[in-house]
Amino acid sequence: MKYRFSRKQLAIPYALFLLVFVAAPLVVIVYYALTGSDGTPTADNFIRFFSDPNTLGTLLYSLILALVTTCVCLLIAYPVAYALAFSRLKASSVLVMLFIMPMWINFTLRLTALKEILTLIEGNLAFHPFLNSVIGMTYDFLPFMILPIYNQLERLDKSLLEAAKDLGAGDAQSFIKVTLPLSMPGVVSGIAMVFLPAMTNYVVLDMLYNSTYIMGSLIGSYFAAYDWHGGSMISLILLALICIFTLLTKSDEGQKTRGGSLV
Amino acid sequence: MLLTGSVLLSSCGREEEDNDAIVLRVCNWEEYMDLGDWDEEETIDLESGDILGVNPLYEDFEEWYYENYGVKVKVEYSCFGTNEELYNMLTLGDEFDLVCPSEYMIMKLMTEDWLVPYSDGFHDEEAENNYYVRNVSPFIKEKFDGHEINGESWSEYAAGYMWGVTGMLYNPDEVDEEQVNSWDCLRDPAFYRRITIKDNVRDAYFPAVAAIKRDKLTDAAFTSGDDYAQQLEAEMNDTSEETVEAALEFLQDTKDVAYSFETDSGKADMVTGKVVANLQWSGDAVYAMDQAEEDDMYLAYSVPEECTNLWFDGWVMLKRGINGDPGKQAAAEAFVNFMSRPDNAVRNMYYIGYTSTIAGGTDGDEVYEYVEWTYGAEDDEEDISEYDLGWFFGDEEAVLEAPTEQLSRQLFAQYPPEEVMDRSSIMQYFDTEANARINRMWINVRCYNIRKMPVWGWCIIAVILLGAAGGFALSRRKKNYEL
Repeated sequence: MKYRFSRKQLAIPYALFLLVFVAAPLVVIVYYALTGSDGTPTADNFIRFFSDPNTLGTLLYSLILALVTTCVCLLIAYPVAYALAFSRLKASSVLVMLFIMPMWINFTLRLTALKEILTLIEGNLAFHPFLNSVIGMTYDFLPFMILPIYNQLERLDKSLLEAAKDLGAGDAQSFIKVTLPLSMPGVVSGIAMVFLPAMTNYVVLDMLYNSTYIMGSLIGSYFAAYDWHGGSMISLILLALICIFTLLTKSDEGQKTRGGSLV
Repeated sequence: MLLTGSVLLSSCGREEEDNDAIVLRVCNWEEYMDLGDWDEEETIDLESGDILGVNPLYEDFEEWYYENYGVKVKVEYSCFGTNEELYNMLTLGDEFDLVCPSEYMIMKLMTEDWLVPYSDGFHDEEAENNYYVRNVSPFIKEKFDGHEINGESWSEYAAGYMWGVTGMLYNPDEVDEEQVNSWDCLRDPAFYRRITIKDNVRDAYFPAVAAIKRDKLTDAAFTSGDDYAQQLEAEMNDTSEETVEAALEFLQDTKDVAYSFETDSGKADMVTGKVVANLQWSGDAVYAMDQAEEDDMYLAYSVPEECTNLWFDGWVMLKRGINGDPGKQAAAEAFVNFMSRPDNAVRNMYYIGYTSTIAGGTDGDEVYEYVEWTYGAEDDEEDISEYDLGWFFGDEEAVLEAPTEQLSRQLFAQYPPEEVMDRSSIMQYFDTEANARINRMWINVRCYNIRKMPVWGWCIIAVILLGAAGGFALSRRKKNYEL
């Protein structure tokens, strides 16, 4: 039989990768999460998570940390993205480059530098663990917020703004009625790209000496204590949270999000 | 279990070349054996002769074994990062002949019947190449003979390699020795955000227990009791629910005071002055003090008065690797003996910075000479003290003339005085139930307990939730309207 090449086959490497590194481990996680240490099916791990004030507290702490980080990122990123998208500078693409460039450097290296800077400013890094974590996360995630918003704003049909002006809208009004609603897909995708990783990015906390656990480090600590079942359950719960969050943002924006993600 | 695994194997493994040779698979801690390649100037010129590491010690062993026994051995040398990682590697099916875990992991491996006992020939002091039994420090030997698992002493299964204690590394410019002579200093508000503790459940639990039981442990009636050593060990290995509960409280206080729970950054933070005191293993303390001295900073080391955690790493042979092969077992035992030859012990000590279990004496005085070479007072030194090392070297004349300042520095950390060793205790391997209890406690130390949330915190959350729900509903309604 003659071998025929079809376009579908191009996806085979990716499908294999997905199978081995995403699907298979997921099956293992689900198996461990739903069994006890003797291998019998049980819901104990689930009940344990939701009845322990420490794990619930960690969930809450992660949520708050992620929420604050997202808000700070949004507050900084939106004006920047706006300025970049509407600047008359020919060199605006260079400016965008400047914001992406930090991402080329490994972020643990950047955090090492940040640690020294914060020590210089605060005198002692350990005085403000929560604040430091927010700064570290913002430092890390800011480009992920700027880029989707910038992309969305740049694509915005400028004639709509002119029309708004023709119809008598002031600057503020046209921003609120036209620019802001049309940039929402970018904002939502930016939020998704910051909020979710911020809940688990424990390396930032470790490196900036915040010794409180967030979801990522909690899972790690369960595994370190050989509690594969409890740790897997937390991973599963986190996965469920991510799914809910994604569904919420997706249903809201529907088809309008067109490639609102990175670059 | 699939997630952690044999990560570090490739980093320091070595290709096998020879087919007919005995292959000896050795797995050791990272950076835990002299790998040679010293500069000419690094030569240690002792009275017994010069010592210089040219090749890795395990390669020297191959040569030495062939010369002495006429049998070719190929050492496959690989490394592990933590005891738990080694154990995971073993349970996942990695095969080694000779490994070097810490005392509590040796206890676990003994309990679970992983190990091959050393042969009678190994314990024979007359045999020419039996360097270990002849040269191991009497102090270490006593500890290994005195501890049993299932009625068998450690000595039958393990040969000591390196040892040390835990204590406090501190900056004497900022801290008085009295401030760190109790483990309670770890939660002392005077050190607010200027003290670090290890991010590791065993290293954190030990000082917590010592601090909780401080009154009892420092009571004269307790310390002068006949079976003080046994009593102390029993107290320090207490894993009852009340003690774990109290340790949780202690460590939560520590978390509120400490600069960080560190795995490796503590030494650097001491040298840069970010912190002024640091719970530290003696070997790493020596390293940190050496580093600081390069910047003209002089750190000191002390051991709190309640107790100190005495630890060992030791060579054990694995059943699954040796697999009843006498040639292989002979090579493994010879490997341990070769490492224990005093000149090789010195090479390792110089390279690693930790303290060898080997005292020497019968087959050469290199170890003691090396200590003298490193710490002994120069002729023009003014402030000199006598420092008794007899307890370790088993020789009453082993009294060193050292600069007085060394009595709280590297010399102290490397060979603590006898009175410190009297209050040292080994930390056992805990059974599954106790282990689970302590691990849970350790996780809870680090978690934010939701019950601690103040009322205003709940109010803010309620407002945020209401706001989010409201905003969501509003955006929905608007969309319907648009349609």
